[in-house]
Amino acid sequence: MADPAVMAGGFSAVVGRSGGGKATSSPAENYQLARRRTLQVVVSSLLTECGFESAEKAAVESLTEMIQSYISEVGRCAKAYCEHTARITPTLSDTVVTLIEMGFNVNTLPVYAKRSQRMVITAPPVTNAPVIPKALIAGQKRTHPSHIPSHFPEFPDPHTYIKTPTFREPVSDYQVVREKAASQRRDVERALTRFMAKTGETQSLFKDDITAFPLIAARPSSIPYLSALLPSELELQTLEETDSSEQDDQTDSENTLYFLNYDDPGADKENSMLPPGGVVPSVKASEENMIDNPYLRPVKKPKVRRKK
Amino acid sequence: MHEVKMNRKKDKGFESPRPFKLTHQVVCINNINFQRKSVIGFVELTIFPTVVNLNRIKLNSKQCRIYRVRVNDLEAPFIYNDPTLEVCHHESKQRNLNYFSSAYTAAVSAVDPDAGHGELVIKVPSELWKQGDEMNVLKVYIEFSLDQPKGGLHFVVPDVEGSMAERGAHVFSFGYQNSTRFWFPCVDSYSELCTWKLEFTVDASMVAVSCGDLVETVYTHDMRKKTFHYVLPIPTAASNISLSVGPFEILVDPYMHEVTHFCLPQLLPLLKHSMSYLHEIFEFYEEILTCRYPYSCFKTVFVDEAYVQVSSYASMSIFSTNLLHSAMIIDQTPLTRQCLAQALAQQFFGCFISRMSWADEWVLKGISGYIYGLYLKKTFGVNQYRHWIKEELDKMVEYELKMGGVLLHPTFGGGKDKDNPTPHLHFSIKHPHTLSWKYYKMFQCKAHLVMRLIENRISMEFMLQVFNKLLSLASTASSQKYQSHMWSQMLVSTHSFLKSISNVSGKDIGPLIKQWVDQSAVVKFFGSFAFNRKRNVLELEIRQDYTSSGTQKYVGPIKVTVQELDGSFNHTLQIEENSLKHDIPCHSKSRRNKKKKIPLMNGEEVDMDLSAMDADSPLLWIRIDPDMSILRKVEFEQADFMWQYQLRYERDVVAQEESILALEKFPTPASRLALTDILEQDQCFYKVRQGACFCLAKIANSMMSTWTGPPAMKSLFTRMFCCKSCPNIVKTNTFISFQSYFLQKTMPVAMAQLRDIQNLCPKDVLNFILDLIKYNDNRKNKFSDNYYRAELIDALTNSLTPAISISNEVRTVDNLNGDVRLILEEITRSLNMEKLLPSYRNTITVSCLRAIRMLQKNGHIPSDPSLFKSYAEYGHFVDVRVAALEAVVDYTRVDRSSVELQWLLNMVQNDPAHYIRHKILSMLGKNPPFTKAAESPLCNEALVDQLWKLMNSGTSHDWRLRCDAVNLYYTLFGLTRPSCLPLPELGLVLNLKEKKAVLNPTIKPEQGPDTTEMTGITMGVHIPVMGFTSSLDEGLITMETVSSVSMSSGVAPPPQGLKRKLDSVVGPLGSSSPEPGQVLQEEDTSKKFKIRFNTVEEDEIDMESPHDSQAFIHHHLNILERPSTPGKEPPAVDQAVLSLPVTPLPSSFGKESTSSSKHSGDHHHHHHHHEHKKKKKKKHKHKHKHKHESKDKERDSHAFSNSPASGRSVRSPSMSD
Repeated sequence: MADPAVMAGGFSAVVGRSGGGKATSSPAENYQLARRRTLQVVVSSLLTECGFESAEKAAVESLTEMIQSYISEVGRCAKAYCEHTARITPTLSDTVVTLIEMGFNVNTLPVYAKRSQRMVITAPPVTNAPVIPKALIAGQKRTHPSHIPSHFPEFPDPHTYIKTPTFREPVSDYQVVREKAASQRRDVERALTRFMAKTGETQSLFKDDITAFPLIAARPSSIPYLSALLPSELELQTLEETDSSEQDDQTDSENTLYFLNYDDPGADKENSMLPPGGVVPSVKASEENMIDNPYLRPVKKPKVRRKK
Repeated sequence: MHEVKMNRKKDKGFESPRPFKLTHQVVCINNINFQRKSVIGFVELTIFPTVVNLNRIKLNSKQCRIYRVRVNDLEAPFIYNDPTLEVCHHESKQRNLNYFSSAYTAAVSAVDPDAGHGELVIKVPSELWKQGDEMNVLKVYIEFSLDQPKGGLHFVVPDVEGSMAERGAHVFSFGYQNSTRFWFPCVDSYSELCTWKLEFTVDASMVAVSCGDLVETVYTHDMRKKTFHYVLPIPTAASNISLSVGPFEILVDPYMHEVTHFCLPQLLPLLKHSMSYLHEIFEFYEEILTCRYPYSCFKTVFVDEAYVQVSSYASMSIFSTNLLHSAMIIDQTPLTRQCLAQALAQQFFGCFISRMSWADEWVLKGISGYIYGLYLKKTFGVNQYRHWIKEELDKMVEYELKMGGVLLHPTFGGGKDKDNPTPHLHFSIKHPHTLSWKYYKMFQCKAHLVMRLIENRISMEFMLQVFNKLLSLASTASSQKYQSHMWSQMLVSTHSFLKSISNVSGKDIGPLIKQWVDQSAVVKFFGSFAFNRKRNVLELEIRQDYTSSGTQKYVGPIKVTVQELDGSFNHTLQIEENSLKHDIPCHSKSRRNKKKKIPLMNGEEVDMDLSAMDADSPLLWIRIDPDMSILRKVEFEQADFMWQYQLRYERDVVAQEESILALEKFPTPASRLALTDILEQDQCFYKVRQGACFCLAKIANSMMSTWTGPPAMKSLFTRMFCCKSCPNIVKTNTFISFQSYFLQKTMPVAMAQLRDIQNLCPKDVLNFILDLIKYNDNRKNKFSDNYYRAELIDALTNSLTPAISISNEVRTVDNLNGDVRLILEEITRSLNMEKLLPSYRNTITVSCLRAIRMLQKNGHIPSDPSLFKSYAEYGHFVDVRVAALEAVVDYTRVDRSSVELQWLLNMVQNDPAHYIRHKILSMLGKNPPFTKAAESPLCNEALVDQLWKLMNSGTSHDWRLRCDAVNLYYTLFGLTRPSCLPLPELGLVLNLKEKKAVLNPTIKPEQGPDTTEMTGITMGVHIPVMGFTSSLDEGLITMETVSSVSMSSGVAPPPQGLKRKLDSVVGPLGSSSPEPGQVLQEEDTSKKFKIRFNTVEEDEIDMESPHDSQAFIHHHLNILERPSTPGKEPPAVDQAVLSLPVTPLPSSFGKESTSSSKHSGDHHHHHHHHEHKKKKKKKHKHKHKHKHESKDKERDSHAFSNSPASGRSVRSPSMSD
């Protein structure tokens, strides 16, 4: 009764209806249409039972909708109650609790069921239950280990959790590698610049088609020398990479004075991390004694002597 | 030598032009406001009067506002007058450049500190001069301020958030030559030395760097500012004082703790790297000069928007921040080192040792340039050095041949005999501030080349001894007190330098000095030879061209090197007056079959394939003046195989470069092979190989039809730089070998110059270059590839050829040629990538902009300057701006766009960066929108006025810019009145006519043999004739002021104003006539005149003896020498002679200037009335031609140089007491 399919059916029935009664329909839709039709019959028979002789189609539709909602809600709630108690199939008591919760007097139900003038409704036409499309089979579906009770939900489809490493013979042909690297870089660059051009201001070389060969607009900067002189982060990265590999032979050949060799790289790092505008020599506080340079000397406090 | 000595008589000792001696100066700047760009401070000069009754003191000061002046605590009245602010006063309508130049020179002279003048004249309070005989010390105290200085100090204040220090705001002093007067009052002369105390109070977050020792830094009482106290105990000229203030990062040189480097925030890592080799330069100079660096400290400051790349001041140098680079950058490294070396050389010669007068400048520039050359030789090798010398020599020779000579040591004999030693120039060389920038660069170039010649003559050892002597004299003097009167020993003069040379070496270098220093111009040789088998003698013929402009005659020894089969032999020939042919005996008996190695000059013995040579001759190659010991250009003819041997086997890079140049004319397979071999030889100097690339491309193009194999250099490049397995893919970059790196950069650029039969770049080559770009991979490289990528773009640019299209077709995307589309795609992508990952100095943007301009020019894409204009705006990196501006300049010329020209000129007036302003003008001069030779719609009166205004008053804050403007004016309009100006009023006719009546009797007796110029007056009639022919434009006003001078001497300088106008009317006739600057054969002109004047009644003019009359003119000019007011009437010139006011009658003949009927009617001499009405134009032509010839002589420049200085400016401000 409170089958999830009902809810789904209700939903898709609504969808199907709004779709404008298509002639062709899938098996799942057929199944749901059949159920809906049964509900309409039920509503009609109830109306007849109540003494109506005719009803407008719209009224029947509304009532059908109401009854469907009601049943759906009963089903949903019953399901919720059952899951709340860690089961997967609702029992009678779940349904009863649900009905009570919805303000229905359960005790009247047996009487109502046994009323005399009730009409018997034929079973809905047999339609095939909708086939759930099979998920991709990937690997073996796992069963529960022994310590997990069987009423617990099953493992989801294996494709959701297993990993399948894919191997392809690595391309070793130098030419292809270079070719690939080159076209990849070019594609990335092109895409990136196109994106930048699309999202920002552009300049064009042609008057007839301003979208052909868009140029990112030149924008003046307030301190143009910084970007022009400082290596970009990318370049710095490469430099670090190549440096670390070649540092050894470099230090040997280039810096003959090992005193400098000693403190230079360190100082370099310190300085590169300095905030802009930071005064460097203070970093080498320890060396200040060695280096006597007037610019490193501390600034004097104003003397007591006043200017005349 | 005698003459030389005579010239320098006055040099013997240094005599101050001032009636006082400056001993000490205090400069105190208490406030620098970056927001308002203003400066407040005071100076105090301590002076010793050297005359009794010193009643006025002249100092230099420009653009400073002076609040008060006190002398020894007494308020002193002062007058401030700067005649250079406005050179010609605005009432003048004068528009000819001769006039301007002489007025400008006069204005500069009027305040020239070397002549004891100045803009600021202070009257010494009378209380003080009464006690004058005691020669007391005077202290002159001047309070001043500067508000938004346009010159002298440059504020850089980036427009970002934050405090001034966070914004990287800074200020620094700059200028061309002595320009210190722009930022504080001083005696702005290189010869007035004194000791200094400098104080600068700046924001606590800033550093003030200045000359001398930083004694202490003290906070102000509010602790928000600090004061830097500098003391410079070494006597120094004010012109060598500088200042820079900013939030600099400080780096103490790790090798030399007394050396401190300063850079702008965030650049410290670059500074560290760039300065890491400075100590080597120090060591080098100290070693060769055997003298310690003269100052106790040295500071380098790197600033943005620098005026020049390098400027040196006492104990500090200011550099452009763009010289800084990281370790990844290859190309900039040598350039930066060279700049440092130049700066340091100038510390010794230029800052520490200063000069006596402007005429001695060449010694300082020469020595500093020479020792810089020695540094180049040591650091970059002999090849690089010789290459550099050749390059400098070629550059200088080219300039002199084009512009006329460069004179190192001008003598202005007191204005008496030689008023203008360089009449061929459109500017005066009397002052550094009137020089064209290009001329000054060539001047420096020549100076160091001449030093090298002296070295050749006396040996390097003696040379260095001389330098050492100068330095040790100076350092002894520098430690003395003023009272010892020894400070003048820190000034070098031509005389003292030559004396020193003669003392040290005992050699007489007089002829050398006379030839290259006292005289301008270079030598032009043509050489050819024949081999006389019978006598086994090489008959060498060396001819000279010494008549064209910029050339002189050489007499003396010349070295010739002959490579024979038996070895290399040097011969010293004597070039004499009349001997052209020289017989040189050969050592080898023609050619033998014996296989034998051939000895080269350097002792090496090599195998050669001798099959190419002439079987009868033992000569392999011949070189004239191989050591470049003459300032010359040699055009030598020898057979192609000789050039090829020379290229392959001569080890001197200069010889190799010469042969490469020569081989361009021999497109043969043998040349091709020789060049290819050189390309492949990795022992060969890389610049030679680079040259070979371009030559090979040219040869390939000439051999197009017979060329076999793949396009030139392609297989070579593939072999050298591409992968073995896949030859179309270039190896990943490493750039380990710099030689290969440079070759790899150059080859594609040269290859792109190849053309096929359709004159297109071969498809192969284009694809090849596109592949290079595509496969370029720099990930594993520790060096940046920005220059390489930029050159690949340049290669694409080179491959472009004009689009084939129907005229006037609109360029659209659709009809874009396929190859061009590929090129354009690369350019677009690269340019866009630069925005995301900018390259060092934005080299790629620069190349892309050039490429886009080339695409436009070749008609592939629509020609449109707006892109370039946006890149040219302030706020882009300077290289990018310059490239963009270059494109705009080019567009202006090609499309004759007045809008763009206006835009450029606006930028010249308003751009914050001085360098950019200068650059725009010099680019406009190099690639002018039109020239004086051609008509252009752009050439109109408004433009003339605008440019005139620019040079007259708009550029008074920057000497260099003013001279640039003068240059541009010269390029566009020439020396005379621009042709586009309307013909001026004819008022003068009457004057002249009447004057004639007065003058005639007086003059006639005086008429000596006359010159061509005298035509006008020699026969009384001629005044009107002249007036008539010139049709009396404003040009005539000067002319007339001059003529009023000259008339008395019987000379009427030919008017010039009309020439251009008429030229344009006359067309071919006019255009064929020589420009005024050119020297005509006197005889020719005079003949013409004779012909001409036959139509005039009174002829019988003797035109054949111009020289006497020249002297005559000079004589009279000098008698009359006095300043006159431009545009106003000339100040009373011989009133007796000049009875009438010479001011032109206002527009009495107004618009009738074109119809000459009226005035010719007045003159009724030789022109045929009946013609007038029919053919006015023809008439003009006729008359004009007449006048025009007379003017070609242009001797009147002598007259001009005297006349028009403003009376107000020449005479010191009227304190006439």
